[in-house]
Amino acid sequence: MRRMASESRRSQMLRGVLDLCLLAVVVDEPAYGYEMTRRLRERGLSTVGEGSIYPLLGRLEREGLVATHRAASEGGPPRKYYRASSTGRRALAEGVRAWRDVRGEVDSVLRTIEAGVV
Amino acid sequence: MSAYVEECRQEWKRLGVPELLAEEMATELESDLAEAQADGVSATEILGESDPRRFAATWASERGLVAEPPPQPRRRRRWIWIVVGLVALFLVAVIVAIIGLFAAASVSVQTSVSSPQPVQAFALPNLVGLKACHARRIALRAGLKVQAIPRSRCHAVVVGQTPVQGTKFPFRQRKRITVTLRPRG
Repeated sequence: MRRMASESRRSQMLRGVLDLCLLAVVVDEPAYGYEMTRRLRERGLSTVGEGSIYPLLGRLEREGLVATHRAASEGGPPRKYYRASSTGRRALAEGVRAWRDVRGEVDSVLRTIEAGVV
Repeated sequence: MSAYVEECRQEWKRLGVPELLAEEMATELESDLAEAQADGVSATEILGESDPRRFAATWASERGLVAEPPPQPRRRRRWIWIVVGLVALFLVAVIVAIIGLFAAASVSVQTSVSSPQPVQAFALPNLVGLKACHARRIALRAGLKVQAIPRSRCHAVVVGQTPVQGTKFPFRQRKRITVTLRPRG
């Protein structure tokens, strides 16, 4: 039960920043869906969780934060590649600033816990 | 996993997603799942635990391919809230009706004339429209015997009296006068 609650919290926290993570993994080099999942995993984000990345990619595409193109993949069918657009890069920079601010504020509040007050 | 993708296809078709775009998404998904499988990565890790139709609808909606997203669980929840709302409304209506019935129910205070002042005939004063205690004072002044009125009903308004104002009674005749009170407000 506690594990489920913990996963749910993690999932909720991720939901707010997953778009940034997706933009981050395609800011330098384009990638197709599964490749992005792989890059996230390589950087330590192992479970994307409920909903997967596809709807989110759809939103990023609709909002013009990623540009897409189709290209042949190694030994497979043509794949749809995503790359952060210039708007996406700006959104990523702003998002990272906002994330760091929030993280700093939350850390300040939670520091008492680390100090062993509770 | 092809069954999963097939269900997505059906949902996109049902939602009216253009065929070309639906096929593009299906192909993208199929290719990714095949590659994940080859890597030994479970489909759940790619797709989460989501229901295929819900997943397909959300994806299409997020891409802006359908006008209105049909998230089924949310719709179910909305129905629950509508039902809860209707039940609550019904209960409130019942409670209001019961309160209304009690409020409208007339409170009767009976007064009686036993022995008026030494006059030949006694004309009943008007008590309608007066507060209960005020009406009682007037009745007492007129020489009537009046039952005590509970303090809580002092501000109730007399909305009817039987017999009506001006009715005359012969001296010393016992006659019961009934007034009807309505709680104020």
